[in-house]
Amino acid sequence: MFGQLLSSLADGLLLGFVYGLAAMGLSLIWGVMTVINLAHGPVIALGMFTAYLLFTQAGVNPYLALLPVAVLGMALGLVIYGAAVHRVLNAPHLSTLLATFAVNMIIIGVGTAVFTTSPHNIDFSLGSFSLGPLTVPFTRVVAAFAALAATALLYLFLYFTRPGKAIRAVANNRMAAELMGISSTTMLALSFGLGTLLACLAGGLIATFFPFTILSGGPYELKSFVICVLGGLGNPLGALLGGLLLGGLEGLVPAFMPVSWVPVVEFGLFVLVLLLRPQGLLGAK
Amino acid sequence: MALLEVTDVASGYGEVQILWGASLKLYRGQLTTLVGSNGVGKTTLLRTVMGLLRPWQGTIVFDGQDLTRAPAHARAKAGLVLVPEGRQLFTDMTVLENLEMGAFSPRARAHFQENLDKVFALFPRLAERRGQKSGLMSGGEQQMLAVARGLMAQPELLIIDELSLGLSPLLALTLFESLTQLKKSGLTMLLVEQNVSLALAVSDYAYVMAEGRVVMEGEARALLKNDDIRRTYLGVAH
Ligand SMILES: Nc1ncnc2c1ncn2[C@@H]1O[C@H](COP(=O)(O)OP(=O)(O)OP(=O)(O)O)[C@@H](O)[C@H]1O
Ligand SMILES: [Mg+2]
Repeated sequence: MFGQLLSSLADGLLLGFVYGLAAMGLSLIWGVMTVINLAHGPVIALGMFTAYLLFTQAGVNPYLALLPVAVLGMALGLVIYGAAVHRVLNAPHLSTLLATFAVNMIIIGVGTAVFTTSPHNIDFSLGSFSLGPLTVPFTRVVAAFAALAATALLYLFLYFTRPGKAIRAVANNRMAAELMGISSTTMLALSFGLGTLLACLAGGLIATFFPFTILSGGPYELKSFVICVLGGLGNPLGALLGGLLLGGLEGLVPAFMPVSWVPVVEFGLFVLVLLLRPQGLLGAK
Repeated sequence: MALLEVTDVASGYGEVQILWGASLKLYRGQLTTLVGSNGVGKTTLLRTVMGLLRPWQGTIVFDGQDLTRAPAHARAKAGLVLVPEGRQLFTDMTVLENLEMGAFSPRARAHFQENLDKVFALFPRLAERRGQKSGLMSGGEQQMLAVARGLMAQPELLIIDELSLGLSPLLALTLFESLTQLKKSGLTMLLVEQNVSLALAVSDYAYVMAEGRVVMEGEARALLKNDDIRRTYLGVAH
C-alpha cells in the first residue's frame, strides 16, 4: 500500500514538471497582456504532432525534435498574435476570449481533418529504472529535467536580459514603456510567441510518453488554468511550483478515492484559492 | 530653428474634443513653462505631442523631423522624452531596472553608465535604493525616479508634467533646484506645473493655455508681472 502510494506520488510529481511547463505559456501571456489564450490546448497538441511528424516521417529523435518544435511554436505564436489578438487587445475582454476561441476551433478543425481523432503515439522508449517499489520510465525523467531547464531559461531571460526586462516593463505599464522607446507591439508579440513556444515544448515532451489526438491539449489547458491560479501570473517559478503541487495531488488523490474524483479535487482547489487568495497561492500579484 | 514646433494641434478623447488648435515653439537650451488652470488640456497637449493620442489636425515637428504620425516609442528614440503626470513608474521593477528601461533606446544605451552616474549624483537617494521595488518607495522618491528615468533616456527635450504635485514644499524646492542644475548643463525643458510662481521664476519663457488653446505667451519674467496672470494663476488679489 505504502509502496504503491509512493510510486503514484513520484509519477504525479514527475508529470507535474510538465504541467508546470505547459502552464507557463498560458501564465506568461495572461500576465503580460491579460489575454486568456483559449487556443492553448490545441497549441500543445500541435507541439505533439510536430514531434510525431518529425519522428515518423524523418526519423528525428524526439528530443532533437524539440528544437524545430520550439521554432515552430514561436512562429505560430507570432502568427496568432498578428492575426487574431493584436487588433482586439484593447477591446473588452470578451473579444480576446472569442478571438482565441476562434483560433482554438480552427486548429481543432484542421487538425481533425488531417490527423483524424484516433490516437497517435511516438513509438520511442528509453527503458525504465526501478528503485524499491518505484518503476519510472526514463522519458518521464528527461521530460522533468527539460521542463526544469526551460523554467530556468525563461526566468533568466525575463530578469537578466534587455528584451526580457522590456517584456516585464510592458506588462507593468504599457504607456510608460512606449514613452521610454520600447515598442509595446513588438514585446507583446514576442511574449505571445514565447507563450506558444512553451506550450508546444510541453506538447513535444508529453508525446514521448502518452498517446495523443488533436484534442489531447484540452486537459492540459484546464490544468494550466488551475496552475495559474495556484502559482500567480507571469512568474515562471510560480507556474513550476503550481505544476508540482497539482501533479503531487494527482498522485495522492487516487490512493484515497476513485481516480474520477481527481478533477473534482483540482477544481475544488481552484475555486477555493480564487475565493480565499485571488492573487494566487504563491504569486505576489 | 525651434527644437519642437507644435502647430495648430487639435485632439481629444473619443468624440470629445479637448484641444482646439494649440501651437507652441521651444528653443534649444531654454526652460519653458506651460501654464493653465485645471482641466484646460495641458496633459492632453503633452500626450498628443508624445504620440499617446493621435492628433486630429496640425503638425508636430521635432528637430527638423515631422513626427506627427510617428508612434510614441519612435519619439523617445528621437530624443523627445516625457516624465508623465502621475509618474507611471514600472512599480513591479527595481529602481535600477526602471533606470535601465529609461535607457532602452539605442541613443541612450551608449551613454548608460555616464547618465547613471549623473542621476545618482543628482539624486543620491536613488543610489541608496537601487535594489528596491519602485512601487514601495515614498512619493517624493518615486518622483525623483520618474525624473531620473527620463534623464536616462538621453533627452534632447525633457518634458515634465506636474513635477511638484503631492510633494512637500521643501522637496518641491529641492527638485526645482535640480532643474536649474540641468538647465545649466544645457538641457532643453518644458514644464507643466501647479506651482506657477516657482515655475515662472526659474523659466525663460512661458505659454498660457485656456480652453484647449494657447492664449498668451512671453518672457517668464514679464508674465510674472502681468496682472491677469497674477490674478488667475498666482492667487494675488488686485
Ligand atoms: N482619458 C481621458 N478620457 C476622457 N477625458 C479625459 C481624459 N483625460 C482627460 N480628460 C478630460 O480632458 C480635459 C483636459 O484634461 P487634461 O488632463 O489635459 O487637463 P490638464 O490641463 O492637464 O489639467 P490638470 O492641471 O488638472 O492636470 C478634462 O476635461 C478632462 O476631464
Ligand atoms: Mg494635467
